[in-house]
Amino acid sequence: MRVTGPEGPWDEVREAVRVHGSVVVHAQLDDWLPEDLDALWLRPVLGRDYARFAAMTHQQIRSRFVASRLLLKHVACAVIEASPQSVELAYKPGGRPYLRGLDQIDISLSHTETLLLVGLTRKGWIGVDAELSDRPMLGLGTEKQVCTPHERQALAQVAEERRNGALVRLWTLKEAYSKAIGQGMRFRFTEFGFGPEDRTVQVLRPDGGRGTGAEWSFHTCIVDRRYTVSVALFDAGFGDTDDTAAATMLDDGLVAALAETADAPPQAPQAPQAPQAPQAPQAPQAPQRPREAQGIRDAKPAREAQETR
Amino acid sequence: MQSVVDLIQLANRRLGTELTAHDAERELAEVPCWDSVHLLRLVGLLEAELGRPVPVAEVLEARTLDEIWTAVSGAVSDTALSGAVPA
Repeated sequence: MRVTGPEGPWDEVREAVRVHGSVVVHAQLDDWLPEDLDALWLRPVLGRDYARFAAMTHQQIRSRFVASRLLLKHVACAVIEASPQSVELAYKPGGRPYLRGLDQIDISLSHTETLLLVGLTRKGWIGVDAELSDRPMLGLGTEKQVCTPHERQALAQVAEERRNGALVRLWTLKEAYSKAIGQGMRFRFTEFGFGPEDRTVQVLRPDGGRGTGAEWSFHTCIVDRRYTVSVALFDAGFGDTDDTAAATMLDDGLVAALAETADAPPQAPQAPQAPQAPQAPQAPQAPQRPREAQGIRDAKPAREAQETR
Repeated sequence: MQSVVDLIQLANRRLGTELTAHDAERELAEVPCWDSVHLLRLVGLLEAELGRPVPVAEVLEARTLDEIWTAVSGAVSDTALSGAVPA
């Protein structure tokens, strides 16, 4: 879905999430670029990202950083029905972005050239990636670093004029999947693969055997006639909700129980027990995605790779 | 290949980037002409240039070109050291 600026169309974004549980939004950098990158209003909108932004010296990097954050925050806030200033973007170890305190949605961010891309889901995990469809990759040694033996065999069967595009598709699928599982490039691209586009896309083992089940779905499309965009989506099986609004996300029963506890007379202290960290479902055949329950939530991003590229 | 400057020259020559020595310490995410495709291609280029495998995981985890060079040159030192130890 194309979003041309802060004016939306946000109703359509909300409707997409309500109906499908997920949405992928693309935009052009210029549509989201403030006239003045030093404007004071950017400070509260960027929040903790502002210090990082202020330290950037290269104009292109500053522009992309601020435009992508504005787009991401507007998309998320349209879904949770809150203001961009009220949402804090944070980063997990490895650089994956998340919205602090908003565990009901998962986000992913990518950009290439002037294209900005945001994925959002309330089903589980999402990863998105974009690349120029005609970016030269074939014959540059890329296949050896990117493809499994099975993929290299399959690529060789693709007509020569479409082979580079097929490799770009594989690249974006692998980037999207790696972002979704929170591994970035640490999960070597030669250790998992994807099949051809004329079949249901799923993760394959290096020998071409099936690697994941129906909980994963993958999509690739062409945006603006020049970008290959891939999306990896993991349905965590937590069930679904059509209400992602921040104001109403608390379960009524939980709120009632908390209120009851607060009104109850104090009891004798008990020996503390170690809290049980919730166990997130694991991606089959893939390293477990770091969850906030299992580690430090607010580490400085190691690099932006998972977030964007 | 003796330094990160050589690595930068290799990247510019073979990847078409326009890196400068000032980019060596810059976060890769903040190097304008750099992205993950470059990073992965650089692994192959370094292996071809050095004639041996490079520590891929360390290279992919590196945050700067300096860190990439440290990972690669560290492996060089380790190789040289192990070669110098009498059997």
